[in-house]
Amino acid sequence: MIWQIDLSVLSLVVICAFATIMVKDLLSAAIIFGAYSFLMCLLWTEMGAVDVAFTEASVGAGVSTILFIAAAYQTTRIVKARRRGRLSSKIIGLGAAVVMGLVLLAAEAHFPGFGDPGSPASLHLSPYYITHTLADTAVPNMVTSVLADYRGFDTMFETAVIFTAGLAVIAILRRVKQADRCELPEPVAISKGYEDTIIRFVSRQLVPFMQLFALYVVAHGHHSPGGGFQGGVILGASFILLAISYDLNLVISRMSEKTNIMLGNIGVLIYAGIGFLCLLLGANFLDYSVLSKILPATDNIMARSHGMLGIEIGVAIAVMAIVIAIYLNLSSHGKLDKGL
Amino acid sequence: MEYLISHYNYWIYILLMMVGLYAMLAKNNLVKKVIGMSIFQTAIILFYVSISAKRDATIPIIAHGHGHDTAHAVVEAAHYANPLPHVLMLTAIVVSVGTLGVALAICLAIHRRYNTLEEDEIQEQLQ
Repeated sequence: MIWQIDLSVLSLVVICAFATIMVKDLLSAAIIFGAYSFLMCLLWTEMGAVDVAFTEASVGAGVSTILFIAAAYQTTRIVKARRRGRLSSKIIGLGAAVVMGLVLLAAEAHFPGFGDPGSPASLHLSPYYITHTLADTAVPNMVTSVLADYRGFDTMFETAVIFTAGLAVIAILRRVKQADRCELPEPVAISKGYEDTIIRFVSRQLVPFMQLFALYVVAHGHHSPGGGFQGGVILGASFILLAISYDLNLVISRMSEKTNIMLGNIGVLIYAGIGFLCLLLGANFLDYSVLSKILPATDNIMARSHGMLGIEIGVAIAVMAIVIAIYLNLSSHGKLDKGL
Repeated sequence: MEYLISHYNYWIYILLMMVGLYAMLAKNNLVKKVIGMSIFQTAIILFYVSISAKRDATIPIIAHGHGHDTAHAVVEAAHYANPLPHVLMLTAIVVSVGTLGVALAICLAIHRRYNTLEEDEIQEQLQ
């Protein structure tokens, strides 16, 4: 940590945050928010949280920005000023923010200094993870071993939460029947009927490399930053790139809605299934060491490593399917026709 | 000066949280409120990540840690950043894209019904 870099990036982050809130155009707000996310991920790399930065780069700066743009395209990009109660809402908002800020400032005086190795958060549980991960699981990336092994239960339900979010988006937006299409005015097109050969060619060439990289990120998550969540989001992003540069039909012809929801199910089931497999083999839920009984040529330690790989693959499949499902529904207003 | 360097980051996170809370309360546009929520989330994530940072520590990946013959390698907790907050925040970021999707879906559904995203116009139509 170098506090000079830290401070300069932090001040850029604050400028971006203010700009996103101030700007009167939702499309600009989305783009500035993407820049904000990229600066955040720079900051996290600098603080040593490489896995978090990787996730933010793919999720926050990539997919979130696209989701905001899709929402702005489907609704309106103009932000109108409030017609009445303008002053009172500003006063209430400002008052609440200032009160919260003052309370937090008062509490902040007792916090341990930035980068203090003796801070309470770093003293009790995490030294065990740091010193035992190699001996227990043969996985050098502690974030992966904590994510998939020591706190595997937690991650399983996080995956279930993402799956539920995808179901909720489909339940809210999806309209199957023709009669349901109400008389909405056509959205103001950002680029209607605009087909660029260069963009199409380049994105088409890019997709296989993105997917290969995503598979590498999933498979190599034990030794380098990455893992199921990041790999899954990149896989989903490769499909979104196709959907943006062509249209939704191309993606749906390769990954139909049914396949997509099935894959989301399968991903969560792989995770839970490995857990139940451990139960069946006579150990605790998600205790991968017992998998050495059925995996050839592995001892208890390597079995934990392989078990982690298995659940990472499940996470990647589920996250990919859900990211695609959310984008498909948001960008076409639930009609799954042409999209952006 | 020492106190300033070790605490300035908390002040900035508090500032970011205030920006997020203000946007959630005072902004008229629903998508702006969602952006405010995302800023609030990232401020909290930033706070957790900064708790995990340690002076003179490296990223939480053990160097040369391949295979079995590395059991003798001395691993000291003070040399590596705290991995636990990283894990919690990593999943929080991925869940945040799920909640963002749901929030935007609700915004789209509201726009479908009321043909506006502005809070006061929706209120007028409700009355």
